Amino acid sequence: MQSLQIINVTKQYAHHKALDRVNLSVPHGSIYGLLGPNGAGKTSLIRIITQITGADEGEVLFKGEKLNPSHIYRMGYLPEERGLYKKMEVGEQLLFFARLKGLSRSDAMHKLKDWVERFEIKNWWTKKVEELSKGMQQKVQFIATVLHQPELIILDEPFTGFDPINANLIRDEIIRLNKEGSTFIFSTHRMETVEQLCDHIALINKSKVVLEGEVKQIKNQFRTQTYEVEHSICNLQLSPSFVLKNSTPVDEGLIRSEIKIIQGIPNDLLKELIPVSHIHSLREIVPSMNDIFIISVNQNLATQSVVA
Amino acid sequence: MNKIFLIAGREFFSRVRKKSFIVMTLLGPLLIAGFYALIIYLSINEEISNDLKRIIVIDESGVFRNKLRENNFYKFSYQDEPLDAARLQLRNEDYFAVLYIPKTAADSLRGFKLIAATQTSWKDESYIEDKLNKVISDIKFAQHGIEQKLIEEINNTSVVLESVRDTKEGLEKGSTAVSTGLGFIGAIFIYMFIFIYGVQIMRGVMEEKTNRIVEVIISSVKPFELMMGKIAGIAMVALLQFLIWVVLSTVLGGGVTGALSAKMSMVQDAGAAVSQTGKAALLSDIISQASQINVWLVGGMFLFFFITGYLFYGALFAAVGAAVDSETDTQQFMLPITIPLILAFFLAQTVVVSNPNGSLATWLSMVPFTSPIIMMVRVPFFTGAWDWSWGWQIIASMCCMLLGILVTTWMAGRIYRIGILLYGKKITYKELGKWLFYKA
Repeated sequence: MQSLQIINVTKQYAHHKALDRVNLSVPHGSIYGLLGPNGAGKTSLIRIITQITGADEGEVLFKGEKLNPSHIYRMGYLPEERGLYKKMEVGEQLLFFARLKGLSRSDAMHKLKDWVERFEIKNWWTKKVEELSKGMQQKVQFIATVLHQPELIILDEPFTGFDPINANLIRDEIIRLNKEGSTFIFSTHRMETVEQLCDHIALINKSKVVLEGEVKQIKNQFRTQTYEVEHSICNLQLSPSFVLKNSTPVDEGLIRSEIKIIQGIPNDLLKELIPVSHIHSLREIVPSMNDIFIISVNQNLATQSVVA
Repeated sequence: MNKIFLIAGREFFSRVRKKSFIVMTLLGPLLIAGFYALIIYLSINEEISNDLKRIIVIDESGVFRNKLRENNFYKFSYQDEPLDAARLQLRNEDYFAVLYIPKTAADSLRGFKLIAATQTSWKDESYIEDKLNKVISDIKFAQHGIEQKLIEEINNTSVVLESVRDTKEGLEKGSTAVSTGLGFIGAIFIYMFIFIYGVQIMRGVMEEKTNRIVEVIISSVKPFELMMGKIAGIAMVALLQFLIWVVLSTVLGGGVTGALSAKMSMVQDAGAAVSQTGKAALLSDIISQASQINVWLVGGMFLFFFITGYLFYGALFAAVGAAVDSETDTQQFMLPITIPLILAFFLAQTVVVSNPNGSLATWLSMVPFTSPIIMMVRVPFFTGAWDWSWGWQIIASMCCMLLGILVTTWMAGRIYRIGILLYGKKITYKELGKWLFYKA
């Protein structure tokens, strides 16, 4: 089942197209990474999902229904640029946001008690926001985002400004909420977050989706059949099935070679290597999300410049 | 609708609880009372604002010697030196000016010169002209054989004109003085509150925008609801403050007026008994004038224009706050908002007061930009029972105002929803115009 479907969405501003026929689908219960360089259109897309703006063309479906105002209460949104009322007390502020999201006062109080204990921020309740450190403010904002138990939680660069301990705390909460059934959309360009948390991604570049799908599949798609072999120094004479891409000495008597397999499987490579050298190790070079990101963006650039 | 209440509530409570609100609300009437007390005090005790000015008189004609009347602020010292020597004294000594009167001046009335080291004021010139005239006219009266006593008698002539209006119910006493005063007080309040609280709306919007909190909020409420909630919440603060001021002012104002009238009567005690009866007459006149004024109409119209004027301008202030990134950028957009307000206030004191039922006054009280102030000044002049001769103007003015609110709120809403999400760009009027017709 899909939590969110973006169908052919286009958004045009006065002088540029922010989104150009974007198609995405976010499966229910997934942690979905929305990646892309700055200015690619991520924020525009999020603003359409959160109904801050509307799409010029196309459709957004939330749980199969066309997006409507009642869905606001079922979503939570943490923007990249955080903001709280500086002069307002933490408790009052959290209550205000909860009630904006449709919770009753008593309901909100009840839920807040739980969160306040979990985040150990009980003694902040009557403090003004401006008295808190930046990291503390982020915690408050995170609570404000998820308090009404939204089915879809959209986080824009959620880990910026957190120290490692609090970042872990937030990550654990994300995983816990995800297990309890919330779907997450992350907008980020931090690839380690994506590697750690996301099971699906979409890569947006220059207003278009250039890559979308399950992380595992995408990684598969970007495998280049290149292996890293550490072996003793020898004169490598490989058959045309293999291409030696790179060779660097690592240790006394050891060389690390990157070999691409054009035809065959790693076993065939080993067969050629074993007679001439001692094999120390062999492993596949799997592209990181970072590599995939850079490759895709560059490819996109290349094809565009060809078209131009 | 529910959300608007929630936002208005937050706006209201967070403002009312601020120390600055409590201080301003309690001190405001004191400050205003103190301000007016100071003005009245200074105008009664002129010595404080005026220094003694000593003037050398070089009178070549000899006609004016020792005849120019002096008072506490002007003293004349008659000298026979040449003008150049007198001018030297002007530099070295404690003299304000040299009054030079040539030989033929008394006959030709020309050639009088007031030479001063600094620019003389209009008041200085008119005082001296007046005293010169007095001397010459006294001489002329004497030449024609008219006695000094007769002149004084003539000068004391003062008729009392009673203004009476012819209405359907018969003749009614006019109420010009009290009407003018009442209209002004109302207009000043409206003007002040539009400015003070309009700017608060603008600041509030800007705070939310620069804080980026707006993005969180408008993912749960419509921008229009946020804007209206803010305007409504601040309106409640304004009303509360106004009510407290009214209550405090009545209490305090009584005290100040009492103290002042005691002082006034002390000043007047020095005068003749005539002024005592004059004072009593004045008081009874004020009371009878006040009784002519349609309290419900004036009160109702005040409340109407107080609220609608605020809403009309408040929406515009909100739009300005949304369109800019920082306080310094507000200037260019504030101008078209402040100019009509200041113009209305200025015209109210001049054209409208001198001719409250003239066509300019009538038209200005229809235009929503100026009507809260202009109409407020005019309403106390509509005395007696409801009459369609002026009633239609009130109805039309109210309708125009409500229509105006719809228009400015619509415009502000369009600008607001785009502006609050736009950062780091200098906005031009052309751009604002485009925003009005953008699709959301």
